[in-house]
Amino acid sequence: MSSDVYIIGIGATKFSPSTPEFSFKELMYEAAVKAYNDAGIDPRKDLDVMVTAAEDYWEGISIFDEYVPDQLGAVLKPVFTVSGDGLWGVAHAHMLINTGQFDVVAVEAHSKASDIVDIQSIWRMALDPYIHRPLVDNVHVFAGLEMNIFMESLDVDRDAVSLVVSKNMGNALGNPLAPYGADVDPDMVNESEVVSYPLRSMDISKYSDGAVVAVLASRKVVEDLGVDAPRILGIGWVSGSSYIEEWDFAAPEFVWRAGQLAYSMANINDPYDSIDVAFIDDRYSFRELQSIYTLGLDNGYSLNELVYNGVTYPDGDLPVNPFGGYLGCGYPLVAGGLQKLYNAVMYMRSGGGDVETALVMTRMEYPSPSAAVAILGW
Amino acid sequence: MSVWDVFNGKTRFLEDNMNVDKFVYTLGHGYEKFFNGLKEGKIIASKCSECGVTYLPPRIYCEECLSEITEFVEIKQNGVVLGYTIQNVDKDGRHLKEKVIWALIGFNGVRGGIFHKLVGVEPEEIYVGMPVKPVFREERKGSINDIQYFTKTV
Ligand SMILES: [Zn+2]
Repeated sequence: MSSDVYIIGIGATKFSPSTPEFSFKELMYEAAVKAYNDAGIDPRKDLDVMVTAAEDYWEGISIFDEYVPDQLGAVLKPVFTVSGDGLWGVAHAHMLINTGQFDVVAVEAHSKASDIVDIQSIWRMALDPYIHRPLVDNVHVFAGLEMNIFMESLDVDRDAVSLVVSKNMGNALGNPLAPYGADVDPDMVNESEVVSYPLRSMDISKYSDGAVVAVLASRKVVEDLGVDAPRILGIGWVSGSSYIEEWDFAAPEFVWRAGQLAYSMANINDPYDSIDVAFIDDRYSFRELQSIYTLGLDNGYSLNELVYNGVTYPDGDLPVNPFGGYLGCGYPLVAGGLQKLYNAVMYMRSGGGDVETALVMTRMEYPSPSAAVAILGW
Repeated sequence: MSVWDVFNGKTRFLEDNMNVDKFVYTLGHGYEKFFNGLKEGKIIASKCSECGVTYLPPRIYCEECLSEITEFVEIKQNGVVLGYTIQNVDKDGRHLKEKVIWALIGFNGVRGGIFHKLVGVEPEEIYVGMPVKPVFREERKGSINDIQYFTKTV
């Protein structure tokens, strides 16, 4: 399978712990206007299909997908919602354009996490009602389990994980859209409250509100507009068994498989060699290292060496989450993948042509055994 | 519906509830076998006759070959710890009076396992591969809580 789909525009709101002055529709509107301006298109004339990514429970509205066309310039156009993260929406937009039937498809995702008064109860509702919900009320317990198995299996130091938090929150200091930039000593992370051993409070990304819209287009549109837009070289998404009991917590196969789908579409054989920068899942600090390992981006380093040698720092060989990741930008629920895509596009544009290839990856959260990976290039 | 009036007298939010209090979850064949097994103090798995994989919790379809599974088997209750975590706070961030050790328990020759409490073990004694067994409640009603906890096999 080949890919001839481009990201001609992208827009995002600021990410904030709360946005009491704007409704979800107004956040979406801001991101959409920015994206269409960035792309140089008129959505009322040029937009063929609108894809949104949302989960009803996050919105507090069932059948949420009916509440989206007006603020996105998509009234009386084909609209559908992917029940998942925005990166899954990108995969669907990519397929639509590759059919040859559509030239301009936009993808939207947002978070209004601050409106959810009892967010942990919604996470609880995602747990298996037969065998997990009767036992566990705190979904972070599963992250603690995953973290412990991952760290023991791959011999990862507590300090290496804490340095991920310190790096990403530090990286966010330079990102005007990120609310959680801070100069954090790894010892602060080591001493933060234990939530579910070995997971500590500072290992968990805090939530943020925000919206992102990406405009994808065919080569024909890119040629008509005469612009230089990053191309989606490869994209893949995978779900594993829904039984958590079957997961390989150390290096989840569904993450590996999603990576393989994207790599094969992009003709990438040696990921570390081919990828210049990675924007990957850090909902929980350890996930960044786990995803590096599982996606074959470790270049044979041990994960401890990788961190201690500075490989993943902004001036390292493979910068990872250089604009702050979820730890620094906040975790905007299903807008996470698009937040990372936005950061990737900004990074590539600012790279002066040096950044050839960027990897974007996120996971759906517990209990979802799902991951998506996209590779961008010029 | 009530109105929050918190920003200098300006109305900024509407408050409402997601009033979906009750739901029933049909067990289906797989979980019926599993939970009624627990009621009798047994752990029941299901085995694919096509590819031989034994699944816990049991189900009536094989995720490898998608064959229908009709064979349910009682498994030996001696398990091992595959991984664990120690919960310190509840979902609202409050400290638990007593920390809870949660473990993923695996069983020989079985894909999957049981996620449950581990009791009677000090955190520093736990290791991957540690032999454990379930302790059933006296009064059982067909739920995952019919197992009170797992504890080390002496
Ligand atoms: Zn089978």
